[in-house]
Amino acid sequence: MLTASSDNQLRWLSITLFGLVVALSLLPCLRLLSEALSHWDRGLDAPLLSILQNPHTWVALQNSLYTSGLGTLISVVLGSGFAFVLTLTNIRYRALWIFCFMLPMMIPPQVTALSWLQLFGPASPILNTLGIAPALGSPQPMYSAEGIALLLGIQHAPLVFLALRSQLICLPKDLIEAAQLSGASQWRLWIDMIVPLSRNAIFAGAAIAFVSALGNFGIPAMLGIPAGYSVLPTLIYQQMAGFGNDVLSEVASLSMLIAFLVLIGMLLQQWIQQRSSYSLIGHNAQPASFRLGKWRIPTQILLCAVLCLILIAPLAALMISSVVPALGMPLTADTFTFAAYNEMVNNQGSTARAFTNSLLLASLAALLLMIITLPLGYRLMRLSLKARAVIASLIEVPYAIPGIVLAIAFILLFSRPIPIINVTLYGTLTLIFLAYLSCFLSVCLKPVMSALSQLDPALEEAAQIAGATPIQRLINIVLPLISPAVFAGGLLVFLIAVNELTVSALLWSAGNETLGVLIFNLDESGDSILASAISVLVVVLVASLMALLSLLAPRLPKGVIPWHC
Amino acid sequence: MTFKNAFALCAALSVSPLIANAQETLTLYTSQPNTDAQQTVDAFEKANPDIDVEWVRDGTTKLMTKLRAELASGVVKPDVLLIADSVTMESLAADNYLFAYQSPAREAYADSLYHPEGYYYGTKIITTGIVRHKRAPETPKSWADLTKPEYKGQLVMPSPLYSGAALIHLATLTDAPELGWNYYEQLQANGAMAQGGNGGVLKAVTSGSKPYGMIVDFLAIREAAKGSPIEFTFPTEGVSMVTEPVAIMEGSKNKAAAQRFVDFLLSKDGQALVLEQGYLPAREDAGVPAGFPQRDAIKLLPFDAASTLKSTDENKSRFSDIFGG
Repeated sequence: MLTASSDNQLRWLSITLFGLVVALSLLPCLRLLSEALSHWDRGLDAPLLSILQNPHTWVALQNSLYTSGLGTLISVVLGSGFAFVLTLTNIRYRALWIFCFMLPMMIPPQVTALSWLQLFGPASPILNTLGIAPALGSPQPMYSAEGIALLLGIQHAPLVFLALRSQLICLPKDLIEAAQLSGASQWRLWIDMIVPLSRNAIFAGAAIAFVSALGNFGIPAMLGIPAGYSVLPTLIYQQMAGFGNDVLSEVASLSMLIAFLVLIGMLLQQWIQQRSSYSLIGHNAQPASFRLGKWRIPTQILLCAVLCLILIAPLAALMISSVVPALGMPLTADTFTFAAYNEMVNNQGSTARAFTNSLLLASLAALLLMIITLPLGYRLMRLSLKARAVIASLIEVPYAIPGIVLAIAFILLFSRPIPIINVTLYGTLTLIFLAYLSCFLSVCLKPVMSALSQLDPALEEAAQIAGATPIQRLINIVLPLISPAVFAGGLLVFLIAVNELTVSALLWSAGNETLGVLIFNLDESGDSILASAISVLVVVLVASLMALLSLLAPRLPKGVIPWHC
Repeated sequence: MTFKNAFALCAALSVSPLIANAQETLTLYTSQPNTDAQQTVDAFEKANPDIDVEWVRDGTTKLMTKLRAELASGVVKPDVLLIADSVTMESLAADNYLFAYQSPAREAYADSLYHPEGYYYGTKIITTGIVRHKRAPETPKSWADLTKPEYKGQLVMPSPLYSGAALIHLATLTDAPELGWNYYEQLQANGAMAQGGNGGVLKAVTSGSKPYGMIVDFLAIREAAKGSPIEFTFPTEGVSMVTEPVAIMEGSKNKAAAQRFVDFLLSKDGQALVLEQGYLPAREDAGVPAGFPQRDAIKLLPFDAASTLKSTDENKSRFSDIFGG
């Protein structure tokens, strides 16, 4: 009797959860695929063929590959440099350095782009204040392929950093000491041990950075669109924004093109990671550490200088441009004004709405995902390794494919009323919400899975023997033990969702603006000062949430919080 | 946190935006700059305290694409539209999306400014001319000047894929025999940058990143009056014009409030606000804002509304082919 009902509970739980995963992950992708490959009756004008014949597609593809490639190179240099110094040496204030280095990844790309735009060009408030602004009509250097690549590189450097750092941490101290005792020089140590052992991690990190750069929309949208320089995501956006649903099939085909490139990148990364899984024994050994000696202070100064360049200077420019009355004016005691904040906070109705919408979307998505991922992770852990891997990569797909592609998939799915219940989701907040669930499921699931895998099965077995049903065990045994991880997953989702632009840029409508859309639209309509004011508030929000997560860190399994590994 | 708590919180959060909605709400889609739109809405709400206006701003072309997609899905969000040009309104009226309303205020307006059946009413006269930074070396007098080598890489203009005024401007200039599509090709070859809306052009020129721009008159003239280092020119060939019409959606569930909005914009007070904001009001007795020439001194390029209506999509894609994106 007891077993029958508990079996039943389990079966229903599994069926519901897997139905959900299929609905959120598989359905949008399949709909996109079917649209992209449709309309063959049009012959040479079939969407897939027509975009392949269009020269714009090839230009955008080439630009995408160039900016992402160059960006990845910058990410690798920055990310691996920081990873080596911050992991292998006895540098001071390690936690602080890591926090600052990770911050660019968490700041939304449109804000990053906006702050770099304020840093250069003849209108730069910071250069005007210092009296070194370039001459009239001199080009804004950020409006270029290299500008885009630089920011992509900085934005995604933390990905390389994380991949490499997790490998370096496993580099056992005794191995290096053994080599040193045998008389190996510092140079041979690097060439023969550290570089070969970390090469695959760098490649894997580079592959993730490349894939993320390919899908990035915020940076090329703010820096490329004004200069007429298009990459694949902005080409899709501009086609949709300029021509609407008439070009949906063509845009779906374009989306498939990016999705295809991204999938290649992901497969490459997985293949490299599998090759490196010969791994190192002795994970518990003390990690290697080089003494910097008299080089410690110069190294710290160098790190500080790099961080000033890539983080502090643009943020300072952003802050300064939010307190001047008009672009191109210097900041003095007379010109200092909070007018932009006043206008945005007190006058513009859209600010409150965007904050409410983004906070609502992000917190609901975080909450619901926390509720879903707990039983989902629990069930997944009970599957065979092979089945688990298949489902985990299914969940990964919507997160990995660029947001712009996912948005197109959701428009395709929901632009008509849903059959049977006859409800139209298009143009509602619910549509953005569903897209977020699909996009961020894997973000929330990862920490939960890693906590579950560290759980001692004996506890649950004891409860099972005492007659607890699976649901009871889940709530009374598993939940209390992994709740910090679930919470951390939820907070990560919140952090990413509250600043999200790419998905909502295509799905927003009247009254449904998100924070990302608000900043993007303000900048596009020429109100950069207002956009800067909101951006400053957003950066403050992000930094405080990250600090909150850091406070939680000691109670979480290792590796749950990206900047605390 | 237990499941029960979480669900209770979910429910509370999802209901909260629905509370406090006892008042009538009017949804407005507009292409006015953010601050102007807010002023217009504030003035209307002050005169009609029982109505709340929720508004969305985007460039006309972009906004219409969004609206068309919503209409195709059977969703009607806006009650009223206040967008750049009447050609867009004509195309919406032709597809039966607009509601005909005979506003009593129309008596004070020239016949050409509103639709005879009352589908839309022009609220302003907005022309597109040339703006230059005061420290810029050249002083362009005509549209043709902008293709000269002195202007290479120095010109910025609004994109017709974003702005309605820019789309009409494109149609007007390409129809002019002395300019035509060739003119836009020359501009592209001369390194002109087409970005976003008129607000973006203003930003680029005042800030000096591009010393010359094509722009709507009121933005440049009113910023210059505030002390911005720019000046506006009406080019010798003539200018293009839009009327920023207002219209009621056929699918609006709130037509009474929408009609009050239209009446307000056309009223003496509404037009006085237009004047105060630095636009040339559509109502002839409302005066001329500081910095503008007299009405009859502005030379308009000929404009064929009917042919523009037909060639809108073609114009957009041809522009997109020349300038990319």
